[in-house]
Amino acid sequence: MSHSPERAGVVALRVIRQLKRDRRTIGLIVFAPIVLMILFGYALSGDMSGVTLGLVDGGGHAGLRSHLESIQDFDVLYLGSESDAERLISEGQLDGAAVLGPDEVQVLLDASSLQIAGAIAAAVQAGAAKERAGLETAGRQLGEESAIVMRYIFGYDLEMMDTVGPAILGLVVFFFTFINAAIAFIRERSQGTLEKFMVSPLSRVEMVSGYVLGFSLFTLLQSATTLFVVTALFKVPLRGSALTALAVVLLLGAGALVLGCFFSNFARSEFQVVQFIPLIITPQIVLCGIWWPLQSVPEFIRPFSYMLPLTYAAHALRAVMLKGAGIGDILYPDLLALGIFFLIFFAAATLMLRREVG
Amino acid sequence: MGMQSAISARGVTKSFGRQRVLDNLTVDIPSGVTYCLLGPNGSGKTTFIRAIVRLLHLDGGEMSVLGRPVSEVDKIYSQIGYMTQHKALYPDLTVQENMEFYAGLYGLYKQQRVARLDELLRMVDLLEHRGRLAGALSGGMYQRLSLACTLIHEPKLLLLDEPTVGVDPRLRQTFWDYFERLTQEGKTVLITTHLMDEAEKCQMVGYMRAGRMAAEGTPEEILRLAGLRPILRLWLAEPERDAALLRAEGYEIDVVGGVVLVRLEGHAQIKEVLSNVSPLDMRLAEPKLEEAFLRLSEAA
Ligand SMILES: Nc1ncnc2c1ncn2[C@@H]1O[C@H](COP(=O)(O)OP(=O)(O)OP(=O)(O)O)[C@@H](O)[C@H]1O
Ligand SMILES: [Mg+2]
Repeated sequence: MSHSPERAGVVALRVIRQLKRDRRTIGLIVFAPIVLMILFGYALSGDMSGVTLGLVDGGGHAGLRSHLESIQDFDVLYLGSESDAERLISEGQLDGAAVLGPDEVQVLLDASSLQIAGAIAAAVQAGAAKERAGLETAGRQLGEESAIVMRYIFGYDLEMMDTVGPAILGLVVFFFTFINAAIAFIRERSQGTLEKFMVSPLSRVEMVSGYVLGFSLFTLLQSATTLFVVTALFKVPLRGSALTALAVVLLLGAGALVLGCFFSNFARSEFQVVQFIPLIITPQIVLCGIWWPLQSVPEFIRPFSYMLPLTYAAHALRAVMLKGAGIGDILYPDLLALGIFFLIFFAAATLMLRREVG
Repeated sequence: MGMQSAISARGVTKSFGRQRVLDNLTVDIPSGVTYCLLGPNGSGKTTFIRAIVRLLHLDGGEMSVLGRPVSEVDKIYSQIGYMTQHKALYPDLTVQENMEFYAGLYGLYKQQRVARLDELLRMVDLLEHRGRLAGALSGGMYQRLSLACTLIHEPKLLLLDEPTVGVDPRLRQTFWDYFERLTQEGKTVLITTHLMDEAEKCQMVGYMRAGRMAAEGTPEEILRLAGLRPILRLWLAEPERDAALLRAEGYEIDVVGGVVLVRLEGHAQIKEVLSNVSPLDMRLAEPKLEEAFLRLSEAA
């Protein structure tokens, strides 16, 4: 059978119309990555050894200052201004800062490590109480009490977010495309529309291609917002081209789509699709080398890591974003591996949409 | 038959596991007719239709569709309109978008499509609902949209699996008028239904039971096969005398409460009967297909 791009386009247009109308899915596609990143950010930044505290002394709080200096676990770094403190926190150089002034004490905290933030806040409160008690016993007249203001700064530990951010981009796209595609195909089956396709001039190749095209638009939307959040909000550098990063994600998304289409053959309902998550998604999260290097994955499992698309996508995205790699640098092995993965499951998916659909 | 068969099945069999769903089924559906497939739930009607379009492979037997062996039916999908029993529509698309999608699959674009869409939407009376989501339509409207989507590419062979379920009587009549027009244009309509009044409108009727063709023919032939005939009831001035007269002519006569009942061989006999007697009043009682099938299934 000869294949016509027009018919694939008809399918793509339909998929786009359907997704466009599905507000909840669009909301999830856009916001879930942000939530996911904040979650991972908090959960993974509990590094407690050696707290570096910035100190901006605007006068008036000698007691508090000496208390903070006396804490053993704190390295105190003296700074000239509040904005310096803010910058250093957001760059990950400082865990927090105290800005002392006659009217107000500001505590700047790194939102990425709550434990450390809590420790710093407690130390400042204790120091202030101590200072007040000291002044009272000395019989000095108390002026108006300085307010203590806590302020959180979203400055993630760069080391952590650097490596994880690009991979989360890939993970989110893979996860949502896989689930949405599998559910879409389950619906085609239960609605009876798949049966109608089979009895039309539309070939299976055209149909799956149409889906790849239609979903790509949403993959693009999702990866663009995620990329924006990763770079603008979480300050992960983007040294390479955003277009190269999007190309990697598109190829990964196409692979996830055909995988979802393939696995929809083994599920009878949308509910069963959800049950694939532990089987398909979790191994990728664990073995793709985002959280710990592939070198630390036990040797007998490592070949398995190299069979998972997310491994290559994470590697390629990291190279593009952190090292400024271009398309040529990631062609081999990453894009090649993603391409092969896509082709294998494209073939498998079209073959599985067999005639005997009932 | 003289005519070319649109569908011809010879000794077709299909089993699901140990259950034989099509059992040595032989059918000929001439082109240019409406052929009605009747039969109880689970008798294999849907399975037969799905075999025609090769949604399942046969275990045995031979079948040809529009002059081609069934193995090549995928080459003529553009000439077939298949309306599934579970209506194949996208609930999250509008009426118009659903139709546009199917039009696109069959390569209908631009002006050609616009005209066709309007014509069909008018036929199924959904013109003013074209902007509504299909999922928000009533059951019967959903059904009507499904039919419109099936007809969009002007197929030569229509396979309609219970197309009128839930459709109100007025629109059902519109549908049947439309089907008649299609057959006049030389198209073939294979239709399944559980409604006998619809079966009576078809040129041919096949009654399936347990995967076999239990009875087949025109509605009149089926009635005769079941031993059912139209009955002419006559009110006569002298019933006893006229009854004897008609009996002598070879008619099958009963007299019940002064009314003379004549079992006719066919409608042509009415004239002959009236040349023998002149009734004060008369009424023709047509037998029902329903009764015929009840008889046939009891006999089997
Ligand atoms: N894919 C399948 N797998 C297993 N059994 C099936 C399958 N399709 C149909 N059957 C069985 O085959 C028999 C015939 O089903 P079919 O759908 O052809 O009946 P039908 O005549 O269309 O009935 P109805 O009037 O209810 O639509 C039923 O017993 C059904 O359970
Ligand atoms: Mg059926």
